[in-house]
Amino acid sequence: MNSRILVVCLGVGLSLVSARAETTNRQLSILPNKITLTGIAARQQLLAEEWVGAEAVGPATGPVTYTVVPPEVARVENGIVVPLTNGVGMIVASTDQRTNSIPITIEGMDRPFQWSFRNHVQPVLAKTGCSAGACHGAAAGQNGFRLSLRGYDDDGDFAALTRNALGRRVNPSDPGRSLMLLKPTGALPHKGGKRFEVGSPEYRVLSEWIAAGTPKSSESDARIERITILPSSVRLQAGDTQPLLVTAWFSDGHTEDVTRWTKYTAANASVAQIDEQGRVTVTGQGEGAITAWYLSRIAVATITVPFTDPPRPEAFSSLAGGNFIDELVLEKLRSLNLPPSGDCGDTAFIRRLFIDAMGVLPTAAEVKAFAADNSPNKRDALIEKVLARPEFVDYWTYKWSDLFLVSSKRLSTPAMWAYYQWIRSNVSANTSWDQFSRQVITARGSSLEHGAGNFYVLHDDPLTLTETTSLAFLGMSVNCARCHNHPMEKWTNDQYFGMANLFARVRLKAGTHDGEVTVFADSEGELIQPLTGKPQAPRPLDGNPLPPNFSGDRREALADWLVSRDNPYFAKAIVNRIWANYLGAGLVENVDDLRATNPASNEKLFAAAASYLADHHYDLKELMRAILRSKTYQRTSEALRENASDTRFYSHYYPRRIAAEVLLDAIAQATDSPTVFPNYPAGYRASQLPDANVESYFLKTFGRPERNATCSCERTVEPSITQVLHLANGNTINARLSDPKNRISKLLEQKAVPSVLVEEAYYATVSRPPSSTESAKLVAILAEASDAEKRTALEDVYWALLSSKEFLFNH
Amino acid sequence: MACRAVDWRELHNHRHPGTMFKLTGRGSITTCDGISRRDFLEVGALGTLGLSLAKMAALQAAGAAPPGNDERSVIMIFNLGAPSQIDTFDMKPEAASEIRGPFKPIRTKNPDLQISEILPLHAKLADKFSLVRSCYHTAPAVHDTGHQMMQTGRLFSGGVNTPHAGCALEFLRGRRNELPAHIILPEPMGPTGGNMPHGQDAGFLGKAYDPFALMADPSRKDFKVPDLLPPTEIGEVRLARRRELRSIVDSTVKNFEASPSAALMDTNFASAYRLMTSSKAREAFDLNQEPVKVRERYGMTRFGQCCLLSRRLIEAGVRFVTINTFITVFDEITWDIHGSKPFTSIAGMKDIVAPMYDQGYSALLEDLFDRGLLDKTLVCNLSEFGRTPKINPAGGRDHWPNCWTTYFAGGGVKGGRIVGKSDEIGAYPVERPVKPAEVAATIYHSLGIDLETKLPGPQSRPYPLVDYGTQPITELF
Repeated sequence: MNSRILVVCLGVGLSLVSARAETTNRQLSILPNKITLTGIAARQQLLAEEWVGAEAVGPATGPVTYTVVPPEVARVENGIVVPLTNGVGMIVASTDQRTNSIPITIEGMDRPFQWSFRNHVQPVLAKTGCSAGACHGAAAGQNGFRLSLRGYDDDGDFAALTRNALGRRVNPSDPGRSLMLLKPTGALPHKGGKRFEVGSPEYRVLSEWIAAGTPKSSESDARIERITILPSSVRLQAGDTQPLLVTAWFSDGHTEDVTRWTKYTAANASVAQIDEQGRVTVTGQGEGAITAWYLSRIAVATITVPFTDPPRPEAFSSLAGGNFIDELVLEKLRSLNLPPSGDCGDTAFIRRLFIDAMGVLPTAAEVKAFAADNSPNKRDALIEKVLARPEFVDYWTYKWSDLFLVSSKRLSTPAMWAYYQWIRSNVSANTSWDQFSRQVITARGSSLEHGAGNFYVLHDDPLTLTETTSLAFLGMSVNCARCHNHPMEKWTNDQYFGMANLFARVRLKAGTHDGEVTVFADSEGELIQPLTGKPQAPRPLDGNPLPPNFSGDRREALADWLVSRDNPYFAKAIVNRIWANYLGAGLVENVDDLRATNPASNEKLFAAAASYLADHHYDLKELMRAILRSKTYQRTSEALRENASDTRFYSHYYPRRIAAEVLLDAIAQATDSPTVFPNYPAGYRASQLPDANVESYFLKTFGRPERNATCSCERTVEPSITQVLHLANGNTINARLSDPKNRISKLLEQKAVPSVLVEEAYYATVSRPPSSTESAKLVAILAEASDAEKRTALEDVYWALLSSKEFLFNH
Repeated sequence: MACRAVDWRELHNHRHPGTMFKLTGRGSITTCDGISRRDFLEVGALGTLGLSLAKMAALQAAGAAPPGNDERSVIMIFNLGAPSQIDTFDMKPEAASEIRGPFKPIRTKNPDLQISEILPLHAKLADKFSLVRSCYHTAPAVHDTGHQMMQTGRLFSGGVNTPHAGCALEFLRGRRNELPAHIILPEPMGPTGGNMPHGQDAGFLGKAYDPFALMADPSRKDFKVPDLLPPTEIGEVRLARRRELRSIVDSTVKNFEASPSAALMDTNFASAYRLMTSSKAREAFDLNQEPVKVRERYGMTRFGQCCLLSRRLIEAGVRFVTINTFITVFDEITWDIHGSKPFTSIAGMKDIVAPMYDQGYSALLEDLFDRGLLDKTLVCNLSEFGRTPKINPAGGRDHWPNCWTTYFAGGGVKGGRIVGKSDEIGAYPVERPVKPAEVAATIYHSLGIDLETKLPGPQSRPYPLVDYGTQPITELF
């Protein structure tokens, strides 16, 4: 108790010292760091932010005064810059301790100004909720007035506002009497309530646009290109608040401050929340992301809130060495005050490696030999052996069979086998992931001869193909964009149908054998984009549209785009799946939920790992090697007090319940009593099954995916009471324990002494020798048992080991 | 008061070691780093002091169970797939044929109410339940969002998954005896197309408060709770030895102390032992103790026997039973009447779904009433949304979250009432629109739980049971 208090006091002392040092190192900086205001209506909110080095640490405390030099170009009101005349100058910000200045340019004051429907009216309607899904943005509109969801359809919305309802929604001769102002200001009854005040900036935009005669945006008007958010990353403390600024960049080069009309969402509300005005409030420790959405463009700000327990000074000092993974993981851990745990030790390593890489337990002999090996590179050597084992092929074939939905539920048995064997032969040959993916996307011919063709049998229309391809190969869902622009991603309805049209010419024809389907590409056929009633030019999401004279199989063009290095999603998607397999949590969670609004827990590492894979020609074994050799992978699962609450940054190895199939195989292996699957040869392990449509209560209860839809959500590894009841009372363990041919029978026949029996039981189940205390206790219980009781006592020792956390979990 | 004290002890016992608060002997909360957490003292105080005598009296008058009174229970029947309001409880006989559909209204025990001819047994009980014809939600029209909102009161966002009402109840009041406080029959919801969580677990309260899922079909001849009993060769002596051995094996390795998932495994072992050794549990799950006549009155269907089992479980002391009428919309004939494959047709609903549903529900309600259990048991029939007023080209109806009907009986609800009203085609509420959060509030209200209660949310911050200002549907009580 005393030592604990001491540690706490020491901790407080240290943090005070560092806090003081930080105060003196702080610099003041104005955001944005350069301003150009275009036209009389332009405004810019200023933000005086404090920095330590290159890191933003929160808004300036205390009052800030702004001065414009020369004063005639602009003035600053409540921190907002208002342009006065064309010219250049400086804005100087000062607090009681510091000053800083930024350049300012005012232009376009001599040009007439007009609000744009596309660039100003639509964002106002989106921000005030008029075009939200709950209101007029609903598929059926609301009370006869329909807008597109968050304004993705400019033409349709323009017509709805200016032409429909007999044009009563706008009244250019008397803008104040327009329904689109009377309703949302509450002057007329409005089911959606009051959305904004008369005289507010929103009112001003809409009323002036109406007064100008509701001008329609032309093709040549400036279009939005991107938005940026400031500060894009900031380190804060519990209870802090931080205003954000959002800038829109247009095709004609001008920028606008759109902070007020941006929609914000918090990706991790337990770390940081955000209000309508773009003000962040810290709610907890870790990393949170704030997403800004404006005119279907997205930007993300990262909020880092270090864990408050300052780590002991030596926590990071002894951590030199390791590969690029270790470097980037440590960088993140340092920024969060999360000291990493130490090395896992050899016996933990061999068990962990075997389970993670090939889904089997090491044998007692393997564990003993590895422990006795004195060579310095023995872990690297073991990794090489594992990557070359046949069980590695079983395991990863199973994994990809989950991804590609190999099952006799929707495929005939011969087709299921052909699909499985195709995957298996490619895993066995270590086909690079880009080649593997290309073969799936461009599959043609008989689905029995070329098993990949079954991808097209399972997904037989362009829309499902678009969604499944995105999920399987890009790790992201584009489903929302089927009906409207994706509200949480940049994907638009047009991009969705452009992508889908790449699949419009795929045709299927029944073959001559059971389950045989011939896949081929037709030379004509277009998919209609329902919004326009015309075919959408075929184009892979944000890739280049196909040339109009393209006459080949469109899927070839899709595959080219998919696997090209310019496609940032392809490598990341597979990196995330492999990373999650070995580290227990994806860099992005869930593993197939990659999107700009759901950033990785370590973006730098994510990018580096993706480049590493691409540099190594998408050889998955190379990536696995780098992960397995890293100190990060080889950390103990024993958490430190300071890192116990970490679940995303890899400060220690996260213990996790072993997946259903692997666990069933482990029980069979530990007891030396194999599972019998009807219609499969004796000795077939669960991880060797080609088919998810094999009846097994154990596999169902422990979360085997059904392979109905491509989604990581199909598998669960959460423990439940039902599972525990089955371990305790079900036949999976009990029947094996009483099997007369099992390991227990063999050991008893050899008349092994209790200490040997206990040691063998530990090696067979938890892959380590028992400690002397453990051995003493268990030997005593076995020695006590009468001869008649000997076997059941040993069975119960095995039961206790097989139902222990140490066995059920990989750690 | 006593009840609250138990709550906080439960809180401590069941929290994962990774979380931050502890209960001292005097009932104040401290964090692991020794700093007293004022906000939690305030939470505790809100729960106890927030209920003034006047308020308590008002609550009782309004039909809520008296606070601290433990007698009320809930059976939530979740009509996964979503029935068509127009073809069941909110018929529009005056509307055009493509709206009103093929069914005729019939008279009921309630002179002010007509319902669809496909639910004749409901009609005979219409004085016992009350309808809310004006439910709506504004989230995307996929099944999963409605499941979240109707069962937890909220749409999940920002990575915060709110708990099912039954899980919140288990957290606040614990279980009554060896039986779990909250049971799902026959198993949790499976895929319904949105790939989102369905809100059938404890969310941020932690997996230790997840419901116990039966994982079996009680209408099967060989029905039993899977693995509830040890094999015959494992007698009491061996069971005891196994437990002792397991505690020796499990106590030595420290790697799991910080892992919530591993702590959960321990909690599950404790719950499983409690269940295995309980004769009460064994009996409650044993449907063979019911006369054949009773079993047949409920209907020998999965849904019917789940209804019967729910009554037995409530009698045995379970606080909350959730019955999923269906598990998924893909492999079953359900309420999801799109009219096209793989979904159901209007005929499929009439011939298969409605009869088994009508029989199971009516048997349950009558049985609860006859046994004097109805006033102590809120039976609420919910669904994720309604269906499009206009029949689609495939002859079915699609998803429609803008208006649908839910209904309630027992648990203080007065029967024979109709709350809310939809427009002439059943498309939008025209009177008393009701949000999913109000349904959750109604359930808590019936149970006598103060709506201002706070739960420990993500990062241990107080999280309101329902959003501020949300009121129960008081017209029902």
